[in-house]
This record gives sequence, structure tokens and C-alpha cells, in this order.
Amino acid sequence: MPSFRSPAPAAWRRLSNRHFRPPPEVREVPGRKARPPPRGRGDSICPAGDPATPWRTRDCAAGGTWPRLGVMDAFIRFTNQTQGRDRLFRATQYTCMLLRYLLEPKAGKENVVMKLKKLESSVSTGRKWFRLGNVVHAIQATQQSIHATALVPRLCLTLANLNRVVYFICDTILWVRSVGLASHVNKEKWRMWAARHYCCSLLLSLARDLYEISLQMKQATRDGAEREKSLPQDPPGYSVADEETEWLQSFLLLLFRSLRKHPPLLLDTVKNFCDILNPLDQLGIYKSNPGIIGLGGLVSSLAGIIIVAYPHMKLKMQ
Amino acid sequence: MDAWVRFSAQSQARERLCRAAQYACSLLGHALQKHGASPELQKQIRELESHLSLGRKLLRLGNSADALESAKRAVHLSDVVLRFCITVSHLNRALYFACDNVLWAGKSGLAPRVDQEKWAQRSFRYYLFSLIMNLSRDAYEIRLLMEQESSACSRRLKGSGGGAPGGIENAGPGGPGTPGGGLPHLALKLQLRVLLLARILRGHPPLLLDVVRNACDLFIPLDKLGLWRCGPGIVGLCGLVSSILSILTLICPWLRLKP
Repeated sequence: MPSFRSPAPAAWRRLSNRHFRPPPEVREVPGRKARPPPRGRGDSICPAGDPATPWRTRDCAAGGTWPRLGVMDAFIRFTNQTQGRDRLFRATQYTCMLLRYLLEPKAGKENVVMKLKKLESSVSTGRKWFRLGNVVHAIQATQQSIHATALVPRLCLTLANLNRVVYFICDTILWVRSVGLASHVNKEKWRMWAARHYCCSLLLSLARDLYEISLQMKQATRDGAEREKSLPQDPPGYSVADEETEWLQSFLLLLFRSLRKHPPLLLDTVKNFCDILNPLDQLGIYKSNPGIIGLGGLVSSLAGIIIVAYPHMKLKMQ
Repeated sequence: MDAWVRFSAQSQARERLCRAAQYACSLLGHALQKHGASPELQKQIRELESHLSLGRKLLRLGNSADALESAKRAVHLSDVVLRFCITVSHLNRALYFACDNVLWAGKSGLAPRVDQEKWAQRSFRYYLFSLIMNLSRDAYEIRLLMEQESSACSRRLKGSGGGAPGGIENAGPGGPGTPGGGLPHLALKLQLRVLLLARILRGHPPLLLDVVRNACDLFIPLDKLGLWRCGPGIVGLCGLVSSILSILTLICPWLRLKP
């Protein structure tokens, strides 16, 4: 594959570099952090963190503030990425769905409900343009997930990505039908196929998340047991009934602690869990109302926005 | 595959692909109409084109902010002419995107009382102003480069032991030794100027790409505003060429004219 990043000859660099004034001198105000130099396009919004806890930034760990980028700057960098824009539109789409569900029973709000419906349908149609060509993304992700080290994540991720490939193929066929290029396509059949494969891929991703959570909990138990060895033992004075509630409490506490220590895992689990409500409803396995689906979609879109805005919050494959 | 993933991760890249597809559809529709294809196929192509147009309007929501930020950045340029041209061009682009957003709201049914024709005319007017500013900036850059080249040439001629007095390639009104040349003299000067221009453009591909792109884009608002009706075929072809060139600048960032 030829590299597209050839260095520009000296003459062009002269043409491009000669016109900018040096920025005005920034006077150091005592107690204020200096503004970081402007970044190029494509840089992530947050600086790289320390390798021990890669999902944390240095600033966060030190309890300091995020680097002070302008809000417009950060918004533009976010919306320059296809995924960023797509997540924003998805959040809008599901917010409309939720608002419609909440406002429909109320009298006198028919106009607003109709406008929300129109906005939702136009955003949903427009988002298809963001999904065209994602088959290639999914194939690449499949190739990458074959190289995972542990067996369970490797199996789960590869199968999940394969299901995503089929989902995107079905989605492309549905797009071709909706644009009017192939009117003989059976929309319902292909929609069911797409929902089925999307559901399978989310289930497999959730399986992988559960595996990672169990690993983290085992790790936390081991750490807890080591710490307890050094502490003096409590006298055993509890009954059998208390033992069960104790077990449940300590399990939930352990779960909460493991997830709190690893926000990427929490975000990914929440995202997959909220996403799965929609295909389950479409397939008729677990029928819920548009309000729940809208809320789930909104929460998962917000989680997705956080992941795009802060790339270190993405759950990495080991 | 990796290249496609990286390319399509930019939202601008996808929008440009949709633009190229839209103008390709427009060109194809015109060609099919001229060659008498079936009305059903023509209808399909027109439907696809309108879907692409509406989809692009959604993809462009939020581009006003980008244009305003670019205008803010352009205010720090040291050259006065460039500062003026680029800032005004970005401001006009921001207004064009704002009108475009209003058109999207109207087409998608959120604001049904929007006068589509009026806002479309407004948006094309701002687009035309921004293209004129871009072309002025290109003309200024070309002029600076021509002055540089001709002074470098005259220095080289002087340095190589005398040479022609004054240098024929000098941009002056005519050498001191030539008595009232008339038409052939003017024709020679024009030819030399054109050769110099060709050499400059060949040596600076970003500038050439920008000039061709803006020149092609200029036909679109001129046709839509009714100032110079060139027909849907020319509009489609020019739109397609300018979209392909802008996709090229996205793939090869060093082909982009900076600032």
C-alpha cells in the first residue's frame, strides 16, 4: 500500500509557512496554568496517561483540572470524527424517542410530538450515511480480535465482530432498498436478520464483559484476602441467615469496587446492556415500551460519546 | 482496508464522498436524459440524488462552528490581503452553512413554514462570495509567486554575466531598448507570462489544485442563481471534479493549500 504521507518539497513549505504571525506573548499570571500549545486535527482531546492506569490521565490522577482547551475547539475536534457525529445524532434520535413517549399521553402537545417524530425519522435516515462502508471496519476488527491473548475474549470478540459484519451487510441492503435502487428487497426479512445478528454480537460482547468482570473480581478478592491476613481476625459471632445476606452484600460490594476501578469496563458493559434492549424488542424476545428503548439508547449513546471524546476510556483488547 | 478505515473516520471525508456521488448522479441523470433512457431509471437516479442531498445536509450540521473557528484562526495571519480574503471567505462559508441548516430544518419537516427558494438563493449567494474570495486569494498568491520568480530570473540573468538588458521576463512595461514593439511585442509578453504562470502552477500543486477546485465550484452557484446558466451536465461535471480534488486533498494532506 503506497504511503500517502510524502514530505512536501521545500518550495511548498515556504509557501505554507511564511504567513503566520508568532502568537502574542502570554504573560504568566501567578497561580494559573499556561495554555497548552494548539494541537493538530486528529489528536485526541485528552493527553496520554501513565502506563500503569492507562485509562487515567495524569491530570485526573493528580486531582487537577483537564487541560483548558476551548469548548469550540474540543467540539470541532469531536465532530470531525465520523463516530463522534454519529453518536451525537444517535443521542438526538433516542432523546426524541424518549420525549415522544413522555409527551404523547399529554393533551395539546400533538404538534411537538409530530415535530419530534419528524426529527427522529430524518436523523435516523441520515445516520445511514455514517454506516455505509462500516463492513470494512468490522472485518478489520475481526482480524484484530483473532490476536487476543486469552481464549474466552478471543472467541467472544471474533464471533461478535463476525456478527457485526453480517449486520452491516444487512444494513447496507436495507439502505439500498430505502434509497429506491432495489425495490424487490423484502424489508421485513432483512430487518429481522439485521436485528438477529446485532443481538448476537451484543450478547457475545456482554459475555466478554462478564468474563473481564469476573477476572477483576477474582483479582480484588485475592487482594482483599492478602490484606485480611495482615489484619487481626474478627471473633466469629454471626448466624447462618446473616451469612447469606453477608455473601450477597460482599458480592455486590466487590462488583461495585471492580467496576469503579475500571471505568472502561463499566462503560462498555453499560453500553452493551443498554444497546441490547432495542434488538430484543424488535425480535419480540423482550417487549418493552419506546420510553425504555429511548432511555437505553440515550444512555448508550452518551457512553459512546465519552469513549470517542476520551479514547483512553475505550476497553482495550489484551 | 486500513486506509479506508482511516479515511472514513473523518466526517468531512464521508461528506465529500456523498458530494461526489450526488454530482455523479446529476451528471448521469443528464446523460441518461440526453440519450433517452427509460423514465423509471431516470426517476431512480433523481430519487438517489435527492436522498444524497438531504443526507449531506444532515452531515453538514455543525460545520458553521468549524468555519467560524477557521475565520478566528485566519485573523492572525501577517499578510493583510490574505488575512482579509481568508477571513471573509470563512465567514461567508459559515453563513452558507447556517442557511443550509435552515434548509435542512425545512426539508425534514421541523420548520415547515421555511421559504425553501428564498433560503436556497441566500445560501448560494454566500457560497458564491466565499468562492470569489478564495479565487482572489489564489490570484494574490499567484501574483506574489510570479513576482518572486521573475525577480529570481532577472537576478540569475544578471549574475550570469550581463545577459539581456533588463531581462525580457521582467514584469515591466517593456525593455528600455525596444522601440514601440506593438502587437507582436505584446503577444510575446503575454506568451511569456502564460509560460511563467504554467511553470509556477506546475511547481506548486497545492495552489493548482485549489485554483481548479474553486474554478469548478464557481459554476454551481452561478448556475443556481441564474447568473450564467450552464446546464445540469456542466454543473454535474464541475461538481464531480471539485469533489474528487477535495477528496484528494483529504487523502494527501500535503496537497492542501495552507494556511
